[in-house]
Amino acid sequence: MCNCEPFASFILEATLSFSLSRRGLVLGASATALAACTPGGGEDNYVNVYTARHYDADRALYAGFQEATGVEVRALTGSAEQLLERLRAEGEASEADVFVSADAGNLWKVKEAGLFQNVVTPALEQNVPQHLRDPEGAFWGFTKRARIIVYRKDAVRPEEVATMDALGTARFRNQIVMRSSSNTYQLSTLAARIERLGAENAKAWAGAVRGNFARDPQGSDSDQIKAVAAGEAQASVCNHYYYFRMMRSEDAADRDVIGKVGFAFPDQAGAGTHVNISGGGVTAHAKRRERAVQFLEYLVSDAAQTMLAPLNTEFPIRPQIAPAPDLAAAGAFKEENIPLDALGRHQAEAARIFEEVGWS
Amino acid sequence: MSLAASPADTRALRPDGVAVAAAIATLICAAPAIAVIALAVTRDAGAEFGAALIREGAIGTLSLVLAGGAGAIAFGAGAAWLVTLCKFPGRGVFEWLLVIPLAAPSYILAYAYASMTWAGGSPFPVQGFWGAAFIYAVGLYPYVYLAARAAFASQSACALEAARMLGASPSRMFWRIALPLARPGIAAGAALACMEIAADYGAAQHFGLSTLSTAVFRAWYAHGAPALALQISAVLLVAAMVFLFVERSARGRASYAGGSSRWRPLPRYDLNAVAGGSAAVFCAALIVFGALLPLLWLGRLALLHANVQDIVQPFVNSIVLSGSGAALTLSLAAAIAVAARRATTGWGKSPLFAAGMGYAAPGAVVALGALSLFGLAREAGWVGGLGAGLSLAALFWTYAARFASAGVGPIDAGLSRLSKGFDASARTLGAGPWRRFVEVDLPIAAPSLAAAALILFVEILKELPATLILRPFNFDTLAVKAYSYASDERLLEAAAPALLIFLAGLAPIIILARTIERRRAGAA
Repeated sequence: MCNCEPFASFILEATLSFSLSRRGLVLGASATALAACTPGGGEDNYVNVYTARHYDADRALYAGFQEATGVEVRALTGSAEQLLERLRAEGEASEADVFVSADAGNLWKVKEAGLFQNVVTPALEQNVPQHLRDPEGAFWGFTKRARIIVYRKDAVRPEEVATMDALGTARFRNQIVMRSSSNTYQLSTLAARIERLGAENAKAWAGAVRGNFARDPQGSDSDQIKAVAAGEAQASVCNHYYYFRMMRSEDAADRDVIGKVGFAFPDQAGAGTHVNISGGGVTAHAKRRERAVQFLEYLVSDAAQTMLAPLNTEFPIRPQIAPAPDLAAAGAFKEENIPLDALGRHQAEAARIFEEVGWS
Repeated sequence: MSLAASPADTRALRPDGVAVAAAIATLICAAPAIAVIALAVTRDAGAEFGAALIREGAIGTLSLVLAGGAGAIAFGAGAAWLVTLCKFPGRGVFEWLLVIPLAAPSYILAYAYASMTWAGGSPFPVQGFWGAAFIYAVGLYPYVYLAARAAFASQSACALEAARMLGASPSRMFWRIALPLARPGIAAGAALACMEIAADYGAAQHFGLSTLSTAVFRAWYAHGAPALALQISAVLLVAAMVFLFVERSARGRASYAGGSSRWRPLPRYDLNAVAGGSAAVFCAALIVFGALLPLLWLGRLALLHANVQDIVQPFVNSIVLSGSGAALTLSLAAAIAVAARRATTGWGKSPLFAAGMGYAAPGAVVALGALSLFGLAREAGWVGGLGAGLSLAALFWTYAARFASAGVGPIDAGLSRLSKGFDASARTLGAGPWRRFVEVDLPIAAPSLAAAALILFVEILKELPATLILRPFNFDTLAVKAYSYASDERLLEAAAPALLIFLAGLAPIIILARTIERRRAGAA
C-alpha cells in the first residue's frame, strides 16, 4: 500500500487556495495522484471479496487465509443491497470473486439476480449442515445466529416467553418493543414463519405483536435490549449476537443493561428457534474462481472455525466446533429447520405483511 | 482586441468559453440525477404499495424539513446577527466556534445522542420526530449561520447607521433592516439545510421515522424493489427542483438597493448585561448541543476502546479524497454559478436547478444513478470493470452530482453582491469571457469560493453512502469505518473514526472561516 501523506497535505493546500484561476493543472494533477494511491499494483495473488460483514474478526480470517494459502484477500465492505447493485451494474466485467452477507435473504437476492455460480465440493458439503446452505450450492453458511427473546427479569418469568406466539398475547399488552421491519433480520424471521405456517398465520402473528407495541419501532437490536432494561417494555426480540456482545462490552453501562435482562431461545418445544447465517458464494463472473472456492472452503475449515469462535459472538456453522465459552454456557438449543432459500423467497411477502399490519 | 469591438460582436465571433464550460459542468453534475428520473419513468416498479410509501414519506419529510429547517434558520440567523452586529462577552470566540457543528454528520449526532440519552437512562431522551428535528436544527444551523453572517457583514453600514440615528432599537433594526437585506443569504443557507434534511437517511432511519429517504431504502432493501426506490427518489429530486425554483424566484423578486461594496467595520450594538449574557448563553448552547456534548461523549467512548492504528490509513484516504473531490466539484460549481449569473434569460439560469437536484437525494441514490450510467457504458463496450481508477472517477462524479449545489449556492450568493456594472465595464474594456471570469468574477467571489470550498471539503469528508458503494477495494475512509462499526451496533469502536471526522473537519472550517474574515478586511 502506498503512502499518501505527502499528497494529502499537497491537496489540502490546493483546496485552501482561493485563486483557483491558475490552478487548473493542480486539480488534474491531484486526481492523478489519488489514482496512484489506490492499491492494486504489484502482486496479483489475491481474491476480491464483496462483503456486508464489517467485523474486525474477519480481518483475522483474511490474514489466516493468506497465511495458509499465500493468497491476499482484498475486501470491499458495504451494505449487501448496495454491493448487489454494484455487482449488477458491473456484470461480467466485475472484479468481485466472492460475495459475503450476514443474512440468507440477501444471499438469495444475489442468486436470483443470476450473479452466483453453483459450487459444490466435498469439503463444503461435509462441513456445512444441510439447512445452513443453499440447496443448489449457490451460497454456503460459515457462522450462524439465533433470534432470541429478551425480557426484563423482574417482570417476566422465563416460561412466559417460551414461544414467539407469546409476544402477541394479552399478557404483553403495551409491553413489547421491536426493531423496524426494514431490518433484514426481522424480515427473515417473518419469512421463515411464512414458510412454516403460511402467510395468513404470519400476518395474524405480526398484527398481534404490533398491537402490543409500547412505542413505534426504532433503533437497533441493542437499543431494543436497552429499552427493555430501562423498563420501557418487558420484552423484545433480537439477535443473540448483540446480547452477548453487550455482555462482553468494555462499557460498564452495557453490562448493567444485560444484568437486568434475561433471554430465551423461543419455540424449543415446537419448531425450534429461528436461525440465520453469515455466508458467501462465488460470483457468476469470478475472475479467480479457484481461489474463491478455496476461500469458501477455508471459511468452514477447522482452522477458521476455531479461530472465529472466540473472536466473535456468532455460533460456528459446524456443530462439532465449540462456540465461545459464554455462548456454550447458554446451552444447546433446537434450531428451526427450513430450506434456507425460503428466507429470500418470502422476503417481499414478509415486507408486505409488515406494511399491512402497520409495523413500520 | 480593440476597444471598438462591442460586447455583442465579441460574443458573436466566437463561442463563450465560460458558457461552454458551464454547460459541460452542468451535464456532469446533473447526469446521475437525470438517470435516476429516466430509470424511474421507464422501469416497472411492480409494487402496489408504492403510492402509500410515497405519501407517508412525503408527509414525514415535509414535517421534518419544516421543524428542523425552522430551528436551523432561527439558530443560524439569530447567531449570525448577534456576532456580526452586537457586542457581548465572548463574541469574538463565538464567531468561530459557531461553525463547528458543520463538522458533525447528522447520522453521527444521532448515534451519539441516542446512546447518550437512551430512553430510561436520561430524563430527556433524544428520540422520535422531535429528536430528529433537534439534531437537524443544532447540526445544520451553521449552513444558515455562514450564509447569514456573510450577508449581514456585507450590508452597508449606512443603512444600519441611518436606522440607528432614527432611533431604531436593535431588535427593530434586525427585523426591519438587517433581516430583509440578508434574506437572499439566509435563504441560500436555509435551502442547503432543508435539502440536507430531505436527503438524510442515517438519522431519520435511526429514529424510526418514515420519510421519502427512508422510503427509498425501505423499497430497495425490504421490498427488494430498486425500481420503486428509484421512483421515490425521482419524487424527491423533482420536489427539490421545485423547491429550489421557488426559493430562487422569491429571491429574484426581492432585490434591494443600497448594497455598497465599500467596506468598513460595522457599528456594533453594545448589549446590556442581561441581553449580553443571554446572547452568550444562546451561542454557547448552540455549540454545546451541536458539537461539544456529542464530541465529549464520543471521546469518552473512544477512550474506552482505542483503536488508533486502524484509522491512520482511513484518515489519510479521507483527507485526500475530500480534498481532491472538493477541488473538482468547486471548479464545476464556479463555472455553473458564473455562467448563470451572466445569463440574461430564464433558461440561462436552468443550470442552477439542474445542478441542484442531486443535493436533495440520498447519496446512495445518486450513486445508483451513476452506477446505472456506468452499466450502460459498459454494455456499450466503452468501459470495462470498476477497477481502482474507474471507481474513483465514478466516485468523484457522484460527489460533483451530489454536492455541486453546496458549492454553487455560496458562490452565486457572493456574485449576487457584485454589481452588473463590473462585468459591463470589463466588457467595454475588451475583456473576453475567460478573462472576466478569471480577473473579475473569481477575485470578487473569493470569499464565497472559500466558503464553498470549506463546505464541499467537509461534505465529502462526511459523505457515506456513495463512498461506500463506489470506492475501490481495500480503500476505507473514516466515514466508512464509522459506519461499518455503527451498523454493527458497535458504538465504542465507531467512536474513534467518528471523532476523527469531526476533528478533520474542524481544521479547514476554522482556517477558512478566519480567512473569509481576513479577505474581507483586506478588501477595504
